Amino acid sequence: MITDWKSHLISALHLEHTVAAVKEKNVPHHRSSIWYYFGGLALMFFTIQVVTGVMLLFYYQPTAELAHKSIERIMTQVPFGWLIRSVHSWSANALMAMIFIHMFSAFLMKSYRAPRSIMWLTGIILLLLMMGFGFTGYLLPWDQTAYFATKIGTEVPKALPWLGDIISSLIKGAKDVNGTTLTRMFALHVGVLPIISILLVLVHVTLILLLGSGVPPVAKVTGATKYFPDYLLKEVMVWLIGFGLLIAIAVLYPWELGKAYDLANPTEPPAGVHPEWYFMFLFQTLKVIPEWLAIFGFGILLIFWTLVPFLDRKANGGERSPIFTYFGVVAILYLCVMTAWAYIAVGDERAQTPTEKIQQVPKQGGDSAK
Amino acid sequence: MELIRKMPEKNTIKRRGILKGLVAGAAAVVTAPIVYVAARFLGYVSKGDSSNTSATVAFSDLTPDKPSKLIQINDEPIIVVREKDDQIRAFTATCTHLGCTVSYRPQVPDFYCKCHQGRYDVNGVNVPGTRPKLPLTELTVVDKGTDLIIQLTPKAKS
Ligand code: HEM
Ligand code: FES
Repeated sequence: MITDWKSHLISALHLEHTVAAVKEKNVPHHRSSIWYYFGGLALMFFTIQVVTGVMLLFYYQPTAELAHKSIERIMTQVPFGWLIRSVHSWSANALMAMIFIHMFSAFLMKSYRAPRSIMWLTGIILLLLMMGFGFTGYLLPWDQTAYFATKIGTEVPKALPWLGDIISSLIKGAKDVNGTTLTRMFALHVGVLPIISILLVLVHVTLILLLGSGVPPVAKVTGATKYFPDYLLKEVMVWLIGFGLLIAIAVLYPWELGKAYDLANPTEPPAGVHPEWYFMFLFQTLKVIPEWLAIFGFGILLIFWTLVPFLDRKANGGERSPIFTYFGVVAILYLCVMTAWAYIAVGDERAQTPTEKIQQVPKQGGDSAK
Repeated sequence: MELIRKMPEKNTIKRRGILKGLVAGAAAVVTAPIVYVAARFLGYVSKGDSSNTSATVAFSDLTPDKPSKLIQINDEPIIVVREKDDQIRAFTATCTHLGCTVSYRPQVPDFYCKCHQGRYDVNGVNVPGTRPKLPLTELTVVDKGTDLIIQLTPKAKS
């Protein structure tokens, strides 16, 4: 009965080739095979984001008046609310980490070569979408850090000639970050971004099932594992380990909630306000070079990075392409150095600002409110 | 990929079986707590602000022209009524049929529910033949001169 039903569905949807391809798929063994796990890990964390995100939606209220209160309620009243929120926040960070590892390993393994160039392109868009999730999600708790980090972030595009102001106000929906901005970020975070990213993840994952994993031009393949069911079983084990670690961290270090930001009673930013770690390299770059230069510089690099599958002719012909490898290594080093530098700078800033001063500020600021 | 690792057929099958069992077991161990946490999380029902059990209404808010007023205590709608003899009474305003909010019709007088034409008499007792099968609950009203305190406790039977 059930097999009947399955085969009917498969033939009705013309999936015979797809099913055959998945059944035939093998995962090659070579020195760098371990990196094949990271896309799957990203997929697992992405799924966790969707599930816990929908759960939080049952209680979260997206207005400047209620956002912070509703999260407080999630954390203190709703059973396991603190855990679901902590998992959503930690898993978001894990997802970003997995994506960065996944992208750079794909880059260094030259996995972007045809026929996987579409995977590279969808991957880049997914990276940008995930960063979009990070940026829009950061404002939702409506605490002080969230407010100021978003203020800074939405100011950056202003450095662009002509379009800058328009882009900045479109993101904010107002002259300055306020309740409209929150609602807008919310719409992006739970509506626009999920729809696009779920579709793209499906495309990306279907493609790898059909195309199979790419092998670096120089790798010596020593064997292969059938994807279904052998490799998949191993993959599930890796997921279980990742999931276990995630839960352990989410329980041991529950995600915190800062003090609510009150629009009617403006305050100065807490010392060392900074975005999430995956934006820190941008944050630090913006501190040391002019904004317009950073925007154009990163814009050009992003275009180059996106077009790599078409620029790297040698790798496409199955040869080594050391120039691209060096470029990837330099990119990784740049990210690491800038991120570390950014954190050191933030630490210095905090050390220079006595904590009492921070706590007094709110009252002074209140007078200039109206 | 023609280089599929060659292994004695029997051995592969055995290993796969063990692995499958292990993964299935671990997945089961993980699933149970996930389902429990999700059920508890989604099963939460707000108790409202239970410290809030009364509300104040000014007598002057109720006029012969507009002799009734809807207020809310702890998420519950309450209807406060000034009767012809200036007596003030308060009833739960949630219709006992399907939960609409009832209104007061001074010209009849009665409580009327627009949703399915339910009716209650001035004492909140459901009128037989209309949809509600239970009466509204009359609440305690404490007269403080110009103000009235409406309490969420049912009025003591006299
Ligand atoms: C939501 C984010 C993402 C998910 C869920 C995801 C998922 C996956 C999965 C499950 C695989 C197969 C396993 C593997 O080879 O690791 C894969 C392969 C691949 N992904 Fe992603 N990925 C994401 C983001 C990215 C990004 C940001 C890039 C790079 C721009 C990228 C580029 C690739 C490439 C080129 C492959 C083929 C790898 C190979 O055949 O060796 N992906 N992805
Ligand atoms: S809900 Fe009032 S009559 Fe049906």
